[in-house]
Amino acid sequence: MAHIPDGVLSGPVLAVGAAVTLAGCAYALKRLEPERIPQVSILSAVFFVASLVHVPVGPSSVHLILNGLTGVALGWAAFPAILVALLLQAVLFGFGGVVVLGVNVMTMAVPAVLCGLLFETVRRRWGHHPRIPALAAGVCGALGVLLTALAVALSLAFSGAEFRPAATLIVVSHLPVMIVEAVFTAAAIGLVLRVKPGILDRSDGLVAAGAVK
Amino acid sequence: MRRRFGSILILAALALTLGTVPALAHKMKVFATAEGTTISGYAYFNGGNRAAGVRVAVADPAGTPVFSGTTDEGGAFRFEATRRTDHVISVAGDDGHAATFVVTAAELPERLPGAEAGSAALPASPPPVGSLSRPAAVDPDDLRAMIEQGVARQIRPLREQIESYQDKIWWHDVLGGIGYIVGLGGLAYGLTQRRTGVAR
Repeated sequence: MAHIPDGVLSGPVLAVGAAVTLAGCAYALKRLEPERIPQVSILSAVFFVASLVHVPVGPSSVHLILNGLTGVALGWAAFPAILVALLLQAVLFGFGGVVVLGVNVMTMAVPAVLCGLLFETVRRRWGHHPRIPALAAGVCGALGVLLTALAVALSLAFSGAEFRPAATLIVVSHLPVMIVEAVFTAAAIGLVLRVKPGILDRSDGLVAAGAVK
Repeated sequence: MRRRFGSILILAALALTLGTVPALAHKMKVFATAEGTTISGYAYFNGGNRAAGVRVAVADPAGTPVFSGTTDEGGAFRFEATRRTDHVISVAGDDGHAATFVVTAAELPERLPGAEAGSAALPASPPPVGSLSRPAAVDPDDLRAMIEQGVARQIRPLREQIESYQDKIWWHDVLGGIGYIVGLGGLAYGLTQRRTGVAR
């Protein structure tokens, strides 16, 4: 359950989430090139719609998150993209509270940025290999969900819940989502790498952050 | 090409969305009504899947616990109300889902004792007339209970219809949300263009 509703988390967790989200968005917006804004808003729309796709799992139901894909495609810009999408989901659908928005953005955008970092590192080393970058994207798709699940469990744990049962429940129920997202992300990024790899080249890239500017 | 990349993604996401209707949305909800003194209801996810095995906690407006338990495989629960007061029903899964629903005092039969503390929630109901005088034909208390049960039974499908109607608005919200995102993107792009234009 990636969207935490209002009234579940404790004050300090909310504050940390808001601070991390604010800092991440400010940093991302500062580095965002205007030409990439359309790409960011498209990925934001994809992310927005993805959470409405539901997979019934046992007693509960889980939905796609696609933060791995967002991170691989956007890097740091995943922060504003996810913020906008989550805000709209909260306002329009009541997915996640408005007060906990900061925490929800943090638990999804931080894994996204980490996935972006991982993908870029792999691409830098094995960029010319026909398979490895797409495979890495698939791994990122699953990793994004896994890290988000753990981050949600941690947020709940810091608010008084037991970490282990919450983490086990969330991770296990998200296993199908991880598989679906791994396949989806690998397919989407694989396609992009074949037809137009330039989209994924970023002068504001994570790895080259210091070198380029 | 960037546009193509995006439209492929959106099409794929939309295809997935369409493929999984009616499992539309993800928010947990709880619905309950009173029939006589029995309050029954169920926890479910937007889109209709029932939430089995989630914790149910019921409290009065003052926060005193009245009932606690878990939902069965069909996501349902039921318990007997002992006082005529608002019942705040909250359900919570271990994974952070939560929802609340209030069964108001007005839904419960008047023969139950009222709330001692939170009686502000009680509607201005007439005092139970006729509870002392008992005509031979029908006990007014029984009659009242029967009427209340009958009305509750007839209203129930209506209320369920309203709940399901909320899910229908869903598509409008999806399109509206995408519109917002596109608009925000355009606005951001326009602002940056203007900034560079001024700088030039």
